[in-house]
This record gives sequence, structure tokens and C-alpha cells, in this order.
Amino acid sequence: MEELKQEIKKQIVESLNLDMTPEEIDSREPLFGDTGLGLDSVDALELIVIMEKFYGIKLTDPNQSKGILQSVDTMAEYIAANRTK
Amino acid sequence: MSRIVSYHSITAEDGNLIALYRSLGINYPKFFKMDRMSKAGFLAAEAVLGQAGLRNEEPKDDVSIVLVNSTASTVDDIEFQKTIGDQEYFPSPSLFVYTLPNVVCGEIAIRNRILGETSFYVQERFDAAFLVRAVRWAFADRSIGKVLCGWTECLAGDRVCRMMLVERDGSGGTGFTEETINEIFKR
Amino acid sequence: MVAIAGHNIYTGLGFGSRAVYDRVRAGSSGLALREGTFGVPEPFVASLFDRSAIRERFGDRDGAGTMTPLEMAMVLSAEDAVRMAGIDASSEDTIFVISTTKGNVELLENAPDGGDPRLALWHSARTVASRFGNPNEPVCVSNACTSGICAQIVAKRAIEEEGYTHAVVIGADMLSRFVVSGFQCLKALSGKRCRPFDRERDGLNLSEGVATLVLTSTGTGIGVELEDGCIRNDANHISAPSRTAAGQTAAIRAVMDEGRAAGLAFINLHGTATLYNDSMESVALHQCGLDGVPAVSYKSIFGHTLGAAGVIETVISCLALKERVVFPTPGYRECGVPYPLSLSEDFRPAAGDRFLKIMSGFGGINAATLYRRTGDE
Repeated sequence: MEELKQEIKKQIVESLNLDMTPEEIDSREPLFGDTGLGLDSVDALELIVIMEKFYGIKLTDPNQSKGILQSVDTMAEYIAANRTK
Repeated sequence: MSRIVSYHSITAEDGNLIALYRSLGINYPKFFKMDRMSKAGFLAAEAVLGQAGLRNEEPKDDVSIVLVNSTASTVDDIEFQKTIGDQEYFPSPSLFVYTLPNVVCGEIAIRNRILGETSFYVQERFDAAFLVRAVRWAFADRSIGKVLCGWTECLAGDRVCRMMLVERDGSGGTGFTEETINEIFKR
Repeated sequence: MVAIAGHNIYTGLGFGSRAVYDRVRAGSSGLALREGTFGVPEPFVASLFDRSAIRERFGDRDGAGTMTPLEMAMVLSAEDAVRMAGIDASSEDTIFVISTTKGNVELLENAPDGGDPRLALWHSARTVASRFGNPNEPVCVSNACTSGICAQIVAKRAIEEEGYTHAVVIGADMLSRFVVSGFQCLKALSGKRCRPFDRERDGLNLSEGVATLVLTSTGTGIGVELEDGCIRNDANHISAPSRTAAGQTAAIRAVMDEGRAAGLAFINLHGTATLYNDSMESVALHQCGLDGVPAVSYKSIFGHTLGAAGVIETVISCLALKERVVFPTPGYRECGVPYPLSLSEDFRPAAGDRFLKIMSGFGGINAATLYRRTGDE
């Protein structure tokens, strides 16, 4: 699971062009909103592309996506249970 | 007569843009999401507005932005096209939002709270005479007192970002004419 | 005064302003579900050109070998508008102003390194203007979806500030895998015919279109003048509109005053049917005290024609103003925006001699243009 979380952090930093190292992201940290990483709506859409591109998971329900993309922890949990790649 | 209050020029190669950002000690994380053209425009605007004492987050409803280039957003279009191949089809939202050149104006406006007009034009080459006309059009809006204007090309030919702050009927500075523009940018 | 002297609309519905107007007046729409078009995985709703029909109409005259269907359509549209206006498009007193968001971007598929010269918007603009023998370098406006009215504003300024007598404003955009994929990955498209301002709205419909307006400083033209225009940035986000509608409110306030508001027959909204755009517009109108004015979005009739939208929708609005009707907004049944607006699924009589047109686009840009009837022609 730790390896998967590291992988996710690396993809987030690269795909979203964040000015930090993957290690600087706290797995529990909220990705969206005023606290935490402060990602925006376009970043959320890019995360949805990451889910499909690397893990074969298609997220189509915006409400469901919100919960899944809350943090690296929630992403890893969902990916581990649903990945097809 | 309109007058050039400040100006700056930077080359728009990737490597030196990030190094330049760091050397200026700016804290603006969104910079790293920007495409090459927005990074260059952003940094040139930092210098030009900084010199004029306007580099801050105070709302500026009397300032407009007029930018010109030759290839529009083709530098970004090429990257987005790579994400919609036949074999690998994963269109990238963060790339797509930069496939319109006027987004550079938007990034500069957001950073500096510029609330006037923003306009982007596409011309074959850097043409001081056209810039003079485009700024004159911007000043046709009587509530505008200053125009941040210039050329932001980063793909083909004249790969450089040249920016100026022009004031309506100012005193001091240099007269905003085709001749002075070519002179200060050594064209 | 800058008057409208000629116009043309060219879409999948037909060629010629009158032909297209009559068809949409009778309830037609070119919008249809496209499955597999451009090889994109999800079906989308759009009105599309028949490219071979464009080539056929253009014939084998000069340029047929190298011009793209988009450029041919622009020439055909401009020819029709110029003929209606009765102006000399080859004169140095005539300026061409072009509005297109992506031009020939589909050529990237065969030239992925960007090497095809026709990818350059200035190149297309020159290709088109030179067909008319015009000696001036055309002006190429790239202001996202507001380009169609920004181009009109530039044309008006060129006429008033620089002494041009006429301006030929051409708005044009076609769809491609590039454009459709882009909007799909932003989840901005509806899978059905769009429903501007409605509670159930879930995105926009893209469409293809080309249109021309000829503006003039001589005479009253068709009896409608471009009275004023303003462009303002939200300075908030590069792809989402400001929740407070800062830019749109400022643009509207700049062109409206009490006298003008009293004479408003209708407001032509951008109304793309995305969640945020329509909400923002209702906030803008409310803040300007204009939420009671009859309003219309043409996006559920024409779809969003991008760079052509500002021109197509202005022409339709001019004809509607002269006919003294307010067009319906098909698909609008229940208000789904913070401030209710006066929209309808039926045609309504229009009282007033002006219409206001507002648009917004990526990059935080907002624009407003005001038009006035000048006579009973």
C-alpha cells in the first residue's frame, strides 16, 4: 500500500505540475479546499485522467469522485480495491 | 501622447524561466502549472509592473492587457494533440486549458488583479506599428489609463517576450511610437 | 455611427442569413447526436457542416487546391455579406477582422510538429482577405469564445480611430478530434441537447459555424448600429467564470445606462448551459438590475459555435430585433440559476429598439456589445 501511495504522489506532482517533491505530500492531507494542497477543478479532472490512464478506473459520478479524490489515502484505498491495470 | 512607463524583455526557453522565477524569490505555486508562454508573460509582467510600482494585488480597473504573437497557442496544441493519439487516448484537462493564447492575459490579470480589458491578437511577426494601433484601440475605452502590452512568442521565429507598460497622456518616460519601441527592443 | 451594412450566416442548417433565420424561426436546429465522429469515445451533440458541400460550393477557383474547408466557408460567407452591403472589399479603406478560436487545428493530426503553415491563424486570415484583393493586413482576434463580439469592437474602433470606411468581420470555427476531446475531458459537454439556465442543465453542445458582418461608417446599412462595446477580465480563474460575475458586470455597466436599459428589447445571453456560466450570467444581470428584461440564449438552437458564435448570434439578434420578436430558448423549463431571468420556450413580441449581447470565455474574459435600431428599413 505504501508503494502505491508513493506512486500516486509521484503522479500527482508530475501531472499537476506541483512545485514540491512527492515526499512532501502528506497521505492524509486534503487535496482540495483551502487547507492542504489547494488543488482546483481542473486538477480534479486531471486526477480522473490519472485514475483511468494508470489504473484503468473510470470515474463518472462527480459526487462519488469527490470522496475518492479527497486524499492520497482515499485514492490508494479505492485504487487497491478497484484497479484493472 | 501615450508614454512607455517601463519595459522588459525575456527569452522564453523553459529552463531559464523556472530558474528566473526562483531567483526572483516569488511565491506563486500556480506558476508551475502554467504553460511556457504564460510563464514567460507572467515573469515579464512581474518586471514591467514592478518597475512601475504596480506589482501588487490591488484591484486595477483602469489597466488593460494587450498581447500579440505569431503562433497563438500552437506550442500547447502540439502537447495536447499527443494526449489524443489513436493508441493512447487520454486527453489532458490541464494541457487543454492552455490551448488558447488569451489565457496568458488571464494569468497576468489574476496575479496582478487587472480588471480592465484583456485582448490577444495573432500577427505574422513582431510589428511595433501594429502594437501602437492595438494599444490605441485599447485606449478607445475611456476608463482605461494604462495598457500592459507586448509580444509573447515561444514556438517559432522570434521566441521572446517583450512587454511594456504604456500610460495614456503621461509625462516622463518615452513617447509610445513605432520608432521608440523598435529602439528599446533593439529591432 | 458604425452601422451593420451586410451579413451572412453559414452553418449545417444552410447558407445565407435569411435561409438560416427562416429555418430556426420555424423551429429547426442543426443539433444532432454524433456517435463515432472524429473517433472520440463518447457521443456528442453538435451541428456539423458537410465539408464536401463547402468544397462544391467553392468550386475550383483560385485556392481550391490549398485552402481548407474552413477558409473556403469564410470566403463564401464574406462574399455574400459584402455583396449585400454593396461595398468594395478590395479597397484600402476596408479592413478585415477575423475571429476564430482554433482555425485549422485539425491539421495537427497530419503535422504533429506544427509544421503546416495553415495552422497559423494569421495565415488563414491572410488567405481569406487576399481572395478579396484587400491590401491591408487583416486583424486576427484570439479572445476565446468572446472573439466574435471582440472582433466587432475592434472593427468599430478601427473605423472610428483610424478612419477605415468599412470592416468585414468574419467569425469561424469547425470541430475536430482536438476540440471535442478537449471539451469532453473538461466534462463540459452534455450528452443531450443543451438546456440553458435550466435546473437540469448539464453542459454545452459544440457546433460548427461561419458568419460575417460588414460594418460601415457610411449610411445606416440594414438599420441597426453597433452602438457600444466593452471587454473586461474577471482576474479570478483561467477556465472558470467568477462566482461574483465581476468582469461581466463591469462590461455590462460600461455600455448600459438608464436610458439605454429602458429601450432594451432583449438581452442575448451567452447561455452555454454549463453549470457555472449560466449561474454567473444570472448574477451579472441581477447586479445590473436587468434580470427582468426578456432574455435569450441561442445555444440550444445553434450549439456553441465558438469563434463564430459572436457573429452568428448578432446576425440572428439583428433580424429578430427588426422583426420585433424575442427568440425562445428551447430546453429552458425551470429556473436553475441563482436569479430568475425572463426566458421562454416560446417566441415573444419585442418592445424596444436595442439589444444587449454578452459573452464570456476562457482566460476570464467577458464582453458586452449594444446594438440599436436606427430606422424602419
